[in-house]
Amino acid sequence: MATSILGNPLPAITILCAVIAAALLVHYIVKRPPLNTQTKLLLLAGLGLFPILSAGSGSYAGFVQTTKRDFCGGCHVMEPWIKDAEDPHSTSLSAMHARNELFGDKSCYTCHADYGMFGTVATKIAGLHHVYGYLTKYWDTPLEEAVKTIKIFKPFPNSTCTHCHSTTLPGFAQVPDHKATADDATASCASKGCHGPAHPFASNGEPTAPPHGAPATGGTP
Amino acid sequence: MTAHRQRQILVAACVMCLVALAMIVWSIVLPSPLSVMVAMSVAQGIGTLSLMLYVWVVIADLRRARVLGEDEKAAASPAPGKDGNVG
Ligand code: HEC
Ligand code: HEC
Repeated sequence: MATSILGNPLPAITILCAVIAAALLVHYIVKRPPLNTQTKLLLLAGLGLFPILSAGSGSYAGFVQTTKRDFCGGCHVMEPWIKDAEDPHSTSLSAMHARNELFGDKSCYTCHADYGMFGTVATKIAGLHHVYGYLTKYWDTPLEEAVKTIKIFKPFPNSTCTHCHSTTLPGFAQVPDHKATADDATASCASKGCHGPAHPFASNGEPTAPPHGAPATGGTP
Repeated sequence: MTAHRQRQILVAACVMCLVALAMIVWSIVLPSPLSVMVAMSVAQGIGTLSLMLYVWVVIADLRRARVLGEDEKAAASPAPGKDGNVG
């Protein structure tokens, strides 16, 4: 999990500032200097300046961490999804995307982030909901059961897919199923039989839109 | 506020800040949902509180120094100096 210092200096800056602050604080505690101007400045650096720098760069480094697939796998119930994404032979939508450089080790976040104006913040706040769910409900759930019971909180918005995949190119409209579902607001790109399921265990075969394969999506080509 | 009290509060602030820094370093060395969340919430809270304790002590100290400076003779308490005293 350790990131290369050269590639990303923030973790190193965080630790360096924390160590400097700690040294100043320990100095004050051990050496007991009188509270003169010099000591006040020393404490200002040890309690203010360096901790703030450390917390600032640490928060940013922490934020970057939360976009990594490893981080998603930090809660054990996500293991089946992580394993699938990392399986080079998997043909699930999630794994196919994870193999692309654009997604890389941030594959989960790239698809599950909110792309609205306050998307990053909204995603992180929604993420707290997941952590709460994990701590109160799923922390000891066995994996077989996790795979069966964990569902997506809100329906997955097609806008996330269209954020990258254009729907205005001529090729798109020529696909009969795209034409057939163009006016159907409930049709999900990732439903089973269309481009889904996104994950091999997705909602256990309960797609948000009717599976097509057969002429179920209305059929008219 | 006596010098002894000042020192007590400042040592408490230092210890709190050290705890907060330890949490932040933990989240960097071993990033996990728990450590990162603790660093971004609990640690920031404790760290802010420790800085506030420092500001409180320093403001009280500056105030006392100015009062003594303006009216040294009237100040009955035998405070040795503006800059505080023995630790
Ligand atoms: C290609 C985009 C994509 C990627 C990449 C992706 N997901 Fe999903 N994920 C989806 C969609 C779409 C759904 C909603 C499926 C549905 O409607 O039931 C979903 C649903 C889920 C669910 C709910 C249960 C389920 O299987 O339906 C979980 C948990 C989940 N994703 C976790 C992950 C994790 C962990 C990763 C990273 C390894 C990941 N996802 C990567 C698109 C993606
Ligand atoms: C962040 C941009 C991005 C998002 C979001 C995204 N995709 Fe993709 N998608 C790509 C890229 C890039 C590729 C090419 C992958 C490759 O082959 O390397 C791709 C490939 C695909 C493929 C072809 C896979 C194959 O090789 O057969 C399908 C189907 C697809 N995406 C559907 C979806 C659906 C459905 C969603 C929404 C759940 C979605 N994508 C979300 C970028 C994205």
